[in-house]
Amino acid sequence: MPESLLTLLKLLLLALLYLFFARVLYAVWSEVARSTTGPAQGGGSGAAVAAAAPAESGRKWKRHRTPDRLVVVAPPEQSGRLYMLGAEQTVGRSPGCQVALDDTYASQVHARIFQGGEGWFVEDLGSTNGTFLNDQKVTSPAPLTLGDRLKIGGTELEVSG
Amino acid sequence: MTRSPSRSSPRSTELGLIVLTALITTAAYILAGFGTLASLPVDIGPFLVVILGLLVAAHLATRRLAPRSDRVLLPLAGLLNGIGYVFIARLDEGLAGLQATWTAVGVGAYIITLLVVRRTRGLERYRYTFMLAGVGLLLLPLVPVIGRNINGARIWVRVGPFSFQPGEPAKIALALFFASYLVEKRELLGKAARHLGPIALPRLRHLGPVLLAWGASLVVMMAERDLGSSLLFFTFFVVMLWVATERASYLAIGTLLFSAGAVVAWRAFDHVQVRVSMWLNPWQGIAQSVPQIAEATFAMAWGGIAGTGLGLGQPGRIPASETDFIFAAIGEELGLLGTTAILIAFILMVGSGLRIALRARNPFDKLLATGLTAIMGFQAFIIIGGVIRLVPLTGITLPFVSYGGSSLVANYVLLALLMRISDAVDEDDPAPDANEGRYPAAREFESPS
Repeated sequence: MPESLLTLLKLLLLALLYLFFARVLYAVWSEVARSTTGPAQGGGSGAAVAAAAPAESGRKWKRHRTPDRLVVVAPPEQSGRLYMLGAEQTVGRSPGCQVALDDTYASQVHARIFQGGEGWFVEDLGSTNGTFLNDQKVTSPAPLTLGDRLKIGGTELEVSG
Repeated sequence: MTRSPSRSSPRSTELGLIVLTALITTAAYILAGFGTLASLPVDIGPFLVVILGLLVAAHLATRRLAPRSDRVLLPLAGLLNGIGYVFIARLDEGLAGLQATWTAVGVGAYIITLLVVRRTRGLERYRYTFMLAGVGLLLLPLVPVIGRNINGARIWVRVGPFSFQPGEPAKIALALFFASYLVEKRELLGKAARHLGPIALPRLRHLGPVLLAWGASLVVMMAERDLGSSLLFFTFFVVMLWVATERASYLAIGTLLFSAGAVVAWRAFDHVQVRVSMWLNPWQGIAQSVPQIAEATFAMAWGGIAGTGLGLGQPGRIPASETDFIFAAIGEELGLLGTTAILIAFILMVGSGLRIALRARNPFDKLLATGLTAIMGFQAFIIIGGVIRLVPLTGITLPFVSYGGSSLVANYVLLALLMRISDAVDEDDPAPDANEGRYPAAREFESPS
């Protein structure tokens, strides 16, 4: 086989190799494009978005600076689960709560988180084990700021944006 | 949650890419045959059956066991493995048969991992088992009867006719341990106990078990003279710590520790000095019978932009051209374009791995995906950097490409774990753990804050 033909075939092989990468990049691109332009989450609806869309958790890494969600920090089995904050929601063990916790140490309707003035506030609803904001027992409605730790029963939630 | 209905299935994309992979590998194999023997390779039939069989088996298993997993990782791994195989077959026919067997074992391990590990979260519970397994595996080559010294490094174990490098599976075991441990302790590790200027130090006792595992692995590897793995462990450990705590101070501490360790190792060990002098002055190495880097450089220079052509160069001149220096062999016969393709493949794999980590909902998955990706990426960086004289050469395998059973099998297991994590990413409802009511009490012990 003449050498020039081998060279040509070699170049074809290399071209095929780069074609493969182009195809891979296209596959990745179409996936990324889909997840960023996908339909927005019901951010203000007040519904508990227990299962975040992939794009949502991707965006979790410190881009927004205003609090709009609660992220479970502990117990480790549930950490990462997130709840979008609406104008008003109750937190508790009851499935009727917008932020329904899977936690035997939480009361049925444990606390209330509501929007007022500048931001969100948390109020204890006479729970058995109390609501703690940054380890301080909540006795009257307390404002929530970014990074605050909310402890309800055995569950710890972080105010995040 | 809603999804656009026009989404093409990840598996059909994967199948398309796998067909391309098979095409490229086969074309390369035939070209290498023409180059070396001026005829079609005699075993092209069996070769096609094996390569197609293995790729399709892996694809079908993924389709069934992890249908929503990442679509580009498997074809990329297959491509690297295929190109590696073509070069190994071209360099040493005896090794080619073995490498084909190992690839089959690797794909088998990939399928078994997907089959056994249905949820990565289940692995979290066995963290101390993984720690013990990892450290135990690392120590294994030091055991007198079964340990073997090959090329000055004591990283082999031989039992009967089988020999393997226990360090390869140990990497994965330790990544699993680090991930599960750091996820639990990241809060505590992120909190600073003391401040040293701008650097915040965590309490030592929270770091205890991790430092122990890491220190033990480093000591073992110094004793086994395996610098490459030692460097790899160090970097991926620091990266995982950094990602878990989001504290850049760990990177600073890691860099400092590493620089100090490197200087000490350079002063104390002959074999480290040899590596450094080979790096700084490879031409002297020819006279000192360590010509590897010089030969690799000649090979790549000879290859130029598009290479001499498959089977038309003399990569056999490079010592260890099937293992550590396979990148230089590719550079000689496929040139800059070929080696760049290898780099692109690794970059795409690392990118996919990190994307999986970003998208993973569970922190353990996030951290594990980061750790596994870091292992693969840094391993490629360390050995390619060593071959092209960017860093001192430390002999480790180029993942999926180099000849070596332990490495191939371990990398397929690593790939399967990444696929498993990416499969869980799209799951809509993370089912709560069965043992409810247990953790709040347990938590009280763990969190002194």
